[in-house]
Amino acid sequence: AAMKCVIGGAQLRVFGRAIHAIARISDEFWFDPIERGLALRSVNSSRSAYACVFFSSMFFQHYCWTAVPHPCQQEQQFSLPCKLIIKSVLPVFRCANVLERNVEKCSISTNPSDHHVTFQLLCRHGVVKTYNLTFQECDPLQAVFAKHMCPNILRVHSRLLADVMIHFPTSQEEITLSVTPVKVCFKSYTEEDTDFSRTMLTEIQLSPEEFDYFQVGVDSEVTFCLKELRGLLAFSEATSVPVSIHFDRCGKPIAFSIEDLLLEASFILATLCEAEKEAASPEPACCPQPRDSKADTAASKKPQQKGNTPSTDSAKAPSALAKQEVKNTPRGTERDVPGRAGAATAKAAAGEATEAPYEKNSYLYKYCIFQFHSLFFGAVSYKEKEAIGDTFQSLVTASDTEEEFGALQSSPV
Amino acid sequence: MRFRAKIVDLACLNHFSRIINTIAKLAKTCILRLTVCKLYFILSDKVANGGASMWCELSQGNFFDEFQMEGVAAEHNEIYLELVPENLSRALKTSQSAKAVKIKLTNKHCPCLRVAVELPSLSSSSRIVTHDIPVGVIPRRMWNDFREPSVPDFDVSIYLPVLKTMKSVVERMKNLSNFIVIEANLSGEMNLKIETDLVSVTTHFKDLGNPPWATEDGCQSSAQGRDLESMAEACIDIKKLQQLLAGQQVNPTKALCNIVRKRIVHFILLHEEVSLQYFIPAIA
Repeated sequence: AAMKCVIGGAQLRVFGRAIHAIARISDEFWFDPIERGLALRSVNSSRSAYACVFFSSMFFQHYCWTAVPHPCQQEQQFSLPCKLIIKSVLPVFRCANVLERNVEKCSISTNPSDHHVTFQLLCRHGVVKTYNLTFQECDPLQAVFAKHMCPNILRVHSRLLADVMIHFPTSQEEITLSVTPVKVCFKSYTEEDTDFSRTMLTEIQLSPEEFDYFQVGVDSEVTFCLKELRGLLAFSEATSVPVSIHFDRCGKPIAFSIEDLLLEASFILATLCEAEKEAASPEPACCPQPRDSKADTAASKKPQQKGNTPSTDSAKAPSALAKQEVKNTPRGTERDVPGRAGAATAKAAAGEATEAPYEKNSYLYKYCIFQFHSLFFGAVSYKEKEAIGDTFQSLVTASDTEEEFGALQSSPV
Repeated sequence: MRFRAKIVDLACLNHFSRIINTIAKLAKTCILRLTVCKLYFILSDKVANGGASMWCELSQGNFFDEFQMEGVAAEHNEIYLELVPENLSRALKTSQSAKAVKIKLTNKHCPCLRVAVELPSLSSSSRIVTHDIPVGVIPRRMWNDFREPSVPDFDVSIYLPVLKTMKSVVERMKNLSNFIVIEANLSGEMNLKIETDLVSVTTHFKDLGNPPWATEDGCQSSAQGRDLESMAEACIDIKKLQQLLAGQQVNPTKALCNIVRKRIVHFILLHEEVSLQYFIPAIA
């Protein structure tokens, strides 16, 4: 598909902050224009953090999307997302805060036939900066997470979350959120072998009254990576939309999301499983969820591509696909793999988890891997792209930028 | 051994935070000595510190609304703790709008100073931020290592120039050399000098004034007999001097230094409620 849009004035800062927030997750992101708007998605190499920001067409001063028939495509209405390297795009939105002062508008256009995405900044005094980025076609990326099935939901203004996080040092990697129906507490994460004589621990207690919406169905303590979250907090401050937090018991992912008429953003982070809890239950306490419940999880609130039917129909299909792939793809939580292989990795982990229960290492805390729902359509018609997908040579080059990039290699996060 | 204290007044809290920030700039780890009336931050002149030592003293009554301390034993009613002042500084950093700050000595996993900051919130109950700062308890047999250093038998004592000016001079000199020579005389003149293969730079200060020091027999020191123009100098590590000056967040009421020729420079910075002494040994 071809897309052309224009971002004006105040929205530039919001868009720039979104790019910066996604940059905290990974070095590359999926750029996915659809008829309703533009989706940006990213996932980190260990598949423990996923971000999706969707800008509806109303966010833009001008938004135009046309389907372009692709010779290889069997079903024409689907557009294909492309993958861009974040480092190429970040300079465009450097100093997002001062963008509005110098830049009047930014136009983004895609040209699928020659694999280009062009960012053009129209600045003051007639200066025009053009960034031509080559993209690589890839499989769609979409996380499946049933927010509405979470027993615990909190909603709060981003200002409060920022005020809480400021008490932790910037080097703090993981924090634990602990809730009961009468209290909420954020604290530094500690484990059995933490050296308490050297570590300063911080804990913040809040009352449920401070939240705009507070629902705790199950007492829980979830630990997640703070660094990845800080990007979302900065982004939501720019939009001043409240942040919703959906979560369950430890081990299940936690979702931080914001939503208004113009945009939706979700950051889904894996939470730590405690090894003891895993050993106790026969079923892994953490996701991936058993395959039968996939039909439920498919009904997520994630922005779907146009034409929903394949995604729900193919709810069953990827499991068939996955069964084959379990054999081919070695389990690699740390490897940087593109979308489809990533799904296979997630399934492979599931396969291993049920076949050969847990490495019995009391110091091993596994990050949960949640499923990636690879659209059946995508999996089938890109067999010929497999070679490119697997080796993943980044073809993104940035021309006419302030820094010299040359050909960039993807780097694991 | 027990300790619990509370600060409610915002001005006292900010002042206390500033002092902790200054200490944090001077020492990575230091000793906190608690007595019934005073708090001391002590850095002893071990080789690890580059030979520099520090003695900072404040009266608890000027800062704390509540202060209860029980030392190791009745005859030795004091507590010596080793801690990282940067941790304390960080715990107090975000307490600028606090309703109250409580500090308590606890022993959950290990001895800690628990700093609990009560912050205002939009709801009826306050937000409470708790920081557990690990500390090491110094046993009584080691207390002698941390006695107050005596004022050395100095050759010259002189008031320092305006600290802000001195700081910017030293900062620029730091880029050129690792060592700086401080020299001063009893006529209120001070020079800061650096010398490298390529360049030598000297900054001259005058009309600084020399503080009067009464000797034990009540009369003025025998400075009269000494040559008022002759300079006493010491060459010291420039980084230590820069850290001392950079850590000053408020202008002291009195700032002076005592120079023992080629041996040591003793800085004294006095504020209304706190005194800080810093000793930098001379490089041979």
